[in-house]
Amino acid sequence: MNGMVSRVEPPSGVRRNGPAPFWRVVRSELGWVLRRPRNLLALFGLAMLPVLIGTVLTLTDSAGSGPSLFAAMAGNGLVLPVFSLMMTQNLLLPLVTAMVAADALAGESAHGTLRGLLLAPVGRVRLVTVKAIGVASMIVLAVGVITLSGVLTGLTVVGGDGLVTLSGTTLPLGPALGRVALAAGWCAVQMAAVGAVALAVSAATEHPLLVMAVTVGGLIVFGVLEAFPNLEWLKPVMLTTDWYSISDVLSDPIRSQDLLTGLWRACCYILIGFSAATARMATKDT
Amino acid sequence: MRRRSIALTASAGIAAGALGLTSLALPAGAQNPRLPTTTPQELVASVLESGRAPAMAGTVTVHNRLGLPALPGTEEAGEFLSGGQKSLRVWSDGERGYRMSVPTSQGEVTVVDDGNTVWKWTSSERTVVKHHTGEGEPGTRRDDTPAENPAELARGLVGKLRDSSEVTVDGTTRVAGEDAYELVLTPDPGERTKLREVRVAVGAEHRIPLRVEVNTNGSGEPALSAGFTRLDFGRQDPELFQFTPPENARVRTADPEEGNHPEGEQRQRANSTSRLVGDGWDTVVVSELPRQATRQEDTAEREHAGSPENPRGILDTIGEPISGSWGHGRVVDTAAGTAVITTDGRVAAGAVPRQVLTEALRNS
Repeated sequence: MNGMVSRVEPPSGVRRNGPAPFWRVVRSELGWVLRRPRNLLALFGLAMLPVLIGTVLTLTDSAGSGPSLFAAMAGNGLVLPVFSLMMTQNLLLPLVTAMVAADALAGESAHGTLRGLLLAPVGRVRLVTVKAIGVASMIVLAVGVITLSGVLTGLTVVGGDGLVTLSGTTLPLGPALGRVALAAGWCAVQMAAVGAVALAVSAATEHPLLVMAVTVGGLIVFGVLEAFPNLEWLKPVMLTTDWYSISDVLSDPIRSQDLLTGLWRACCYILIGFSAATARMATKDT
Repeated sequence: MRRRSIALTASAGIAAGALGLTSLALPAGAQNPRLPTTTPQELVASVLESGRAPAMAGTVTVHNRLGLPALPGTEEAGEFLSGGQKSLRVWSDGERGYRMSVPTSQGEVTVVDDGNTVWKWTSSERTVVKHHTGEGEPGTRRDDTPAENPAELARGLVGKLRDSSEVTVDGTTRVAGEDAYELVLTPDPGERTKLREVRVAVGAEHRIPLRVEVNTNGSGEPALSAGFTRLDFGRQDPELFQFTPPENARVRTADPEEGNHPEGEQRQRANSTSRLVGDGWDTVVVSELPRQATRQEDTAEREHAGSPENPRGILDTIGEPISGSWGHGRVVDTAAGTAVITTDGRVAAGAVPRQVLTEALRNS
């Protein structure tokens, strides 16, 4: 029924009684997210990164030294996507996430368009949900683009069919791709946690730049705090604590303990961030 | 009105999330299970009786507050020796298969024992070291010890320990979800040692040691604690105890003469020149450094002896100078022990304060 009606609807801007169909609002939000050139550029840049790493690795043949996992990557292409995710989730992915979250509420606020949304026949919780879905989609796209580019580059440039795990076992292509997908999913949940907090900040301010500064600055502060042995007790509540555990998917059997702890922690952050964003939006005056 | 209820629900959401986070920070509640009382002899006897480990998969966490200086070039062994927390995973099929997997900063080291062959895989170097452990004699060597009467053996062992320490069963504890007895060794007051007590948690059901803690004088927290943090008994996937070297890995077969680990060779050589001075808790090992310190791989000996290329050179960077009527040298002090290496190549080490070491050196 709704679908039929929406086709003969008058153009947007005309008030209607009753809420707008949810999927339509989501679609329009996704359209906005994907139409922004900066977002597309970010996706393109992220896609290039694994290609760059893979090419440098094959050309220089620098296996045996360098950061963790680097040694495991020689001739073992499917390590590349996991390595790329590990490298980007520290700063680049949070940056992209914060950028989209900043546009979502603070950006609208800065342009004065948030007012229109608050007056529109969309509930406040719905509004936050739609914005969160927009941010989440961008995260999934970003992580997906890195993973896909990593897998393709790994298989074509670095080489190797299947995956030699860190434990020395050899996985055939299917399960190996499963491991990569697992890493990607885990990474996406971590980024969703960053996105939820960024969204909460975004709801509280009207300066998009502030959202990025707070989000990325917060992650850097976590990194600094981790370096102090005296602040060991803070570690369990810091989002970044288990981020390096993403390489645990490359063990056989998977070393699941830290991954699960990290997952639980990220879910807590998502709950906090989303709730805070909702609370702020619900109490906002139009 | 509706907005207020939304805000309230959202606040509850924030609180729930914060609670979830704090649940991660809280230590697991320690409870002391009720178990039938036992004596040290019975406990030790039951451990000897149970023999090998049952089929299980577990995670062992090592907490190290020994305060050992970081030793250069010691790789995974060094990572365990220098301070901090490390986890390693172990599997056993209850018969002949073992598997151990140790994360390192560069990847992972995995050791697989399928009963006939021990494989050691180092992911950072992509190397496999293969070592045959006598085929055709399925595990007879390991069964040798419990062949004697365990109760008899336990009485002898506990009796020997009682010469220099107080041996008690000090209540119960829980380790990795298993009920356990705590066997406590306390040095007699006359013993000149840095250690205050050694606690061994023995699982009540399967009678295997689950945790070892070394407590030192003047510290509430154990200087060294190694124990299971996760433990599941039950049949394990047989695949775990097989190992096929991956393609393009370097496979090296260890020379049986040379021994599984070069460490064995090293230890033999060290044994030929090393003597024990004193007994009980203040035992001191005095040995000579090999004239030309040879290349060593993973060895605990390094803790005492120094390092791969030039032990003295390394020691110069970590120890502090010490001298006396016995000569000159450098001393390394840790929470649980001390080591002295002299300029003329003698090494003394033990869980004792440095005076005891220098005494031993003077008398040797």
